[in-house]
Amino acid sequence: MKALILVGLVGSLWAAPQKPVTLKLYPAEIALSGAGASQQLLVVASGADGIDRDVTAEVQWKLSATGVANVSSSARLEAVSDGKAVLTASLAGAKAATAAVQVSNAKAARAYTFTRDISAILVKRGCNSTACHGSVKGRGGLKFSANALYPKEDYDWIVKGGGYQVLTTEVKGERIPRIDFKDPQKSLLLTKPLMVTPHGGGKRLEPGSADLQVLTDWIKAGAPFGDDTGKAPKLVKLSLVPSMAIVTMGAKHRLLVTGHFSDGHTEDFTHQVLYVPNDPDVVSVSADGLITPKTRGETAILIRAAGQVASAGVGVIGDPIVNYPAVARSNFIDQHVFEKLRRFQIVPSALSTDGEFLRRVALDLTGTLPPPNRVKDFLASKDPAKREKVIDALIASPEFVDYWTWRFADLFRVSIFTNGLSSKWAQGYWEWIRDNVERNRPYDEVARERLSAQGYSPATRHFLPYNVVGTPADTMAEEVRVFFGRRMDCAQCHNHPYENWSQDQFWGMAAFFGRMFKVGTILMDHPVNMDLSSKDVDGKIEVLHPRTKAEVKPALLDNSKFNLDPAGNPRKELAKWMTSNPYFAEAAVNRIWGLFFARGIVDPVDDFRSTNPPTHPELLAALAKDFQTNGYNLRHLMKTIVMSRTYQLAYEPNATNKHDVVNYSRSWARAIDAEVLLDAVVDVTGVQETFSTAVSDGGAVGQAPPGTRAVQLRDPDTFYSRFLELYGRANRGAVPERNARPNLGQALHMLAGATYVERLGGPDSRLGRLLKAGATNAQIIEEFYLAAYSRVPTAEETKAVEEILARRPDREAGLREFVWALISSREFAENH
Amino acid sequence: MRHRTNRREFISAGSLGFLGMSLSQYLKAAETSPAKEKGKANSVILFWLEGGPSHIDTWDPKSNSNFKAISTNVPGIRVTELLPKMAKKMDKFALVRSMHTRGTDHPQATHYAITGHEINPAMQFPSLGSIITKEMGPRNAVPPHVLVPKWDKSRQYEDYFRSAFLGGEFDPMCIPDPSRPGFQVTDLSLPKTVSEQAVEGRSEFLKIVDRRYRAMNETADHANMDAYSAQAWKMLLTPAVRDAFDMSKESEKTKEAYGKDSVGQSALLARRLVEAGSRFVTAAGYHGNSWDTHSDNDKGHKDRLCPTLDRTLTALVDDLEQRGLLETTLVVAMGEFGRTPVINPNLGRDHWPNCWSLALAGGGIKVGQVVGASDERGYNVTERVTTMGDLFATLYKALGVDWTREYMSPIGRPLKIANSLEDTTGVPVKELLG
Repeated sequence: MKALILVGLVGSLWAAPQKPVTLKLYPAEIALSGAGASQQLLVVASGADGIDRDVTAEVQWKLSATGVANVSSSARLEAVSDGKAVLTASLAGAKAATAAVQVSNAKAARAYTFTRDISAILVKRGCNSTACHGSVKGRGGLKFSANALYPKEDYDWIVKGGGYQVLTTEVKGERIPRIDFKDPQKSLLLTKPLMVTPHGGGKRLEPGSADLQVLTDWIKAGAPFGDDTGKAPKLVKLSLVPSMAIVTMGAKHRLLVTGHFSDGHTEDFTHQVLYVPNDPDVVSVSADGLITPKTRGETAILIRAAGQVASAGVGVIGDPIVNYPAVARSNFIDQHVFEKLRRFQIVPSALSTDGEFLRRVALDLTGTLPPPNRVKDFLASKDPAKREKVIDALIASPEFVDYWTWRFADLFRVSIFTNGLSSKWAQGYWEWIRDNVERNRPYDEVARERLSAQGYSPATRHFLPYNVVGTPADTMAEEVRVFFGRRMDCAQCHNHPYENWSQDQFWGMAAFFGRMFKVGTILMDHPVNMDLSSKDVDGKIEVLHPRTKAEVKPALLDNSKFNLDPAGNPRKELAKWMTSNPYFAEAAVNRIWGLFFARGIVDPVDDFRSTNPPTHPELLAALAKDFQTNGYNLRHLMKTIVMSRTYQLAYEPNATNKHDVVNYSRSWARAIDAEVLLDAVVDVTGVQETFSTAVSDGGAVGQAPPGTRAVQLRDPDTFYSRFLELYGRANRGAVPERNARPNLGQALHMLAGATYVERLGGPDSRLGRLLKAGATNAQIIEEFYLAAYSRVPTAEETKAVEEILARRPDREAGLREFVWALISSREFAENH
Repeated sequence: MRHRTNRREFISAGSLGFLGMSLSQYLKAAETSPAKEKGKANSVILFWLEGGPSHIDTWDPKSNSNFKAISTNVPGIRVTELLPKMAKKMDKFALVRSMHTRGTDHPQATHYAITGHEINPAMQFPSLGSIITKEMGPRNAVPPHVLVPKWDKSRQYEDYFRSAFLGGEFDPMCIPDPSRPGFQVTDLSLPKTVSEQAVEGRSEFLKIVDRRYRAMNETADHANMDAYSAQAWKMLLTPAVRDAFDMSKESEKTKEAYGKDSVGQSALLARRLVEAGSRFVTAAGYHGNSWDTHSDNDKGHKDRLCPTLDRTLTALVDDLEQRGLLETTLVVAMGEFGRTPVINPNLGRDHWPNCWSLALAGGGIKVGQVVGASDERGYNVTERVTTMGDLFATLYKALGVDWTREYMSPIGRPLKIANSLEDTTGVPVKELLG
């Protein structure tokens, strides 16, 4: 409780930054090899306030031996001659930091290669970015592989010219080399970026620059590829210091980038990469990795070198907080979230009130609002374990099963259209999902069954959109998105523009889905001895690569080996591999997390990629590990999430977290999804919704059984509901993306639509029952506040409502208007 | 990292959803002088022939049709005898007989015809109507994109007409069948049970019930909803908006000319809406795959289909002309594909996307002509293959929209707004644009 009191006070506890206590010098070991080798230096001072500051520009440098190396004015250690030394950085008031220095081969020049040197310039100058020549079809008739993923192809385009068609390997039209061997200065490779020849991409090279010299020398030397044997060490990884930089406004911070090569050696790449902040409003980054803050916030900085991408997080904070309060932690989630908040000098909001917590957790676990009597009991209970008890009760409730069946029916796309044009099939698929939820079946098992389903298994129905076998490419892209949280679709037609995924890899994966046949009404994998010419058989035996038109054999994304039984079901192998891949657990926990918070740790939840890094990588890894060690138990995962203090924080912000969006320092309001909101309107008003249905395979127009809740609709595509449309229910024709945020249609519907007009009063409504029982206005107001907001109205609120009611000529009409206002209000439409 | 816009940003960005527009756009749109747009098309009526008409039994008569070809008021152009009214007005129409498209079953072909793309479970594509609505912007206070009538039995087709990632403000407003008794557009007028006094009371309560909650943290969503509510009030209280949907304002004679069924009244409502300012209206009276004549093709075309098509399409063009709207209104009459030149054992014709026909009128289209040709029996295009991308490009150009434009999907996939075969951009049919 002490922590809570402190949280309330922090607003006034600002003070000046404290003196540094320890210095760290990066890198701690420096090996410089080759003529001209150098290493950018970084010195970080850690203060008692827990904040690291870049003090590189303030320290004194000393080398224990002379003539080995020099430290330049920009803190770059430059090799002079072979030898060893100790480098010391010192700053008044702090213990000095040291690094071991070794210089070797100081006189030996390294051989230039296209991959190492020319590609690096193309990357750093942005030539092969996806916005320019690195786009799928190139730009202005010149195509580079994005981020120099395929240097040999880039080399051919420069030296020989090229042509590119998305759908075929044929080259149409004239090939134009970008190099003029007779007159190197006239090479397009130089004149275009210098803007001597008009260039759509503008000026990219300055006369007299070192890069221009390298390019010119390379052309004069005959433009060699330089590594025809392919044995030159390749850049395999970039590493960064720090991986998360915290910068106060007005200060600066440097990033150090190290290139790791295939032969094990490392080199300083700080000056040889392209820095791109994801959000350029938060920081700018100079060409040599110096971060300058622009406004408080957080973003990722993408770092590109030829063929490699890495990202660093950066947080820009305001004045540090003195006496940052201790915050209670419930489980490992809080450890990760609160640790980052402390580094960012953001104090989390207080613990939620009981009413706030109950409404939130009931909506998130069961899609229902707690009834007024339950709210009252919960508020009155003095049991210290009451939150955990209510969580357990909610997870064990039938509403939990309804709600999560609906959520997974959305994700897995239950719909007669996508499940074989028959309500029979959609029902079977829905029942399979419900059964899995009810039994809390391990999620990896569910995934394996869905991925490899065949025969009469209801899970086959997602392979049969419109009653025909889905194309291998579409099916594969969907499975990767659902279970890996990744979008490979781009690689269907071309190498992925942002990821190291080639078109060949895409089609290798797609080929797993290339052996499915529809036999009569069921799905089979290429059955031995089947008469493939039969009229009942619908399917293809080969998957053809769209560019090369050659047959593609099934291959896993990481090229790992597997046994392909030619007569068996190849998807079993795929399912085994996918569910044991680390991507699987990460994607699953992130998807579930995203449903309990306003955003995923990776957001959107199914858009994992190197250029969209997680906000809390360690938390994501810890959740995934916990999920895996607990047998992919979804209920365990959900309980872990809702038991965390992070989840249970209050909605009300404090002075430090008002602007925080991504760090879970308080509860963010989320628009309640269509079906849940409609059910909530029904619960509050006490008037049921009637869903009109029509079965497209011949049935007559009918109605769902009375009392059916929106989340219980088995095949929502067959039910009309203006309300559900307006609040953005998912279209199950594609992997769902919902948007329940305000729009004009909602506003019109609220004012004039049936959902709101027809259920405000009447004998069977909540209002009608209260009036019949002779309730007073104050009692009615309290019951509706409990039903809609899970809280008791304040005295001020009751008074204000009573005053308006007193002025209405017709009491009942006035109360109906009050009910309308409650279910039209933001506090009602949001989960907070 | 994504940003949440705060209230101030909202006001400057001013993005509003469904049907919508920002208040400033809304006000500006009302001021736009119609004279500025004169001389080019400013709206589209898609007369949707759901199910796919038999091209050889309508606009591309062949010897393997059981119906005679008749001459028209344009020398050299002949159509089926089932379309006598059109034959007398052929100088008001252009026929394209060389459509060549994708999708062999209704969902696939409808999706292709409406979006220009094949179905892809990984993403949703914006429809032609939503693209045109986005590119042209709203006009007056009426909903810019409307589909009438909505499907009773399924919303799958309706989804194809939506705006995907473009945003809810470009989705079609889908309204009930205007030919049914008691036709009323949902949510566009206050129910009789809600008095003006009740309206006042509601807003008074709304200001106080969650004041405490909103005071904690006022978000962009809250500000948006306030703005939408204000706009919704305005729409509910603007007579012109209600009037646009008020079929009782039409004379009995006009209603009869269009036909008092779903096909006719939907087309009539489309005209009312275009007149009031809508950009793209789909008149989709032929629900239930009406044109899908897998059995008794001839009977269907003769008794049910061609007579209503002939009646309503000519009435629409006449009406638009009389009101001076024909030059600015593009009329497109088409289905999702044609039908097989060969008759099946059920005396029907099956699906045929390989070669089919459509009709265009108004909107500055060069009329009184035929574009493209098919072989002797209507199997294949022999002259001037016209793709869906070419058709889209033609419509865009007639509307003054840049047909070469590409949109970027949320995951960074570029999408051509006139997507043609083999990943090419459609090209406007120059014969049609004069």
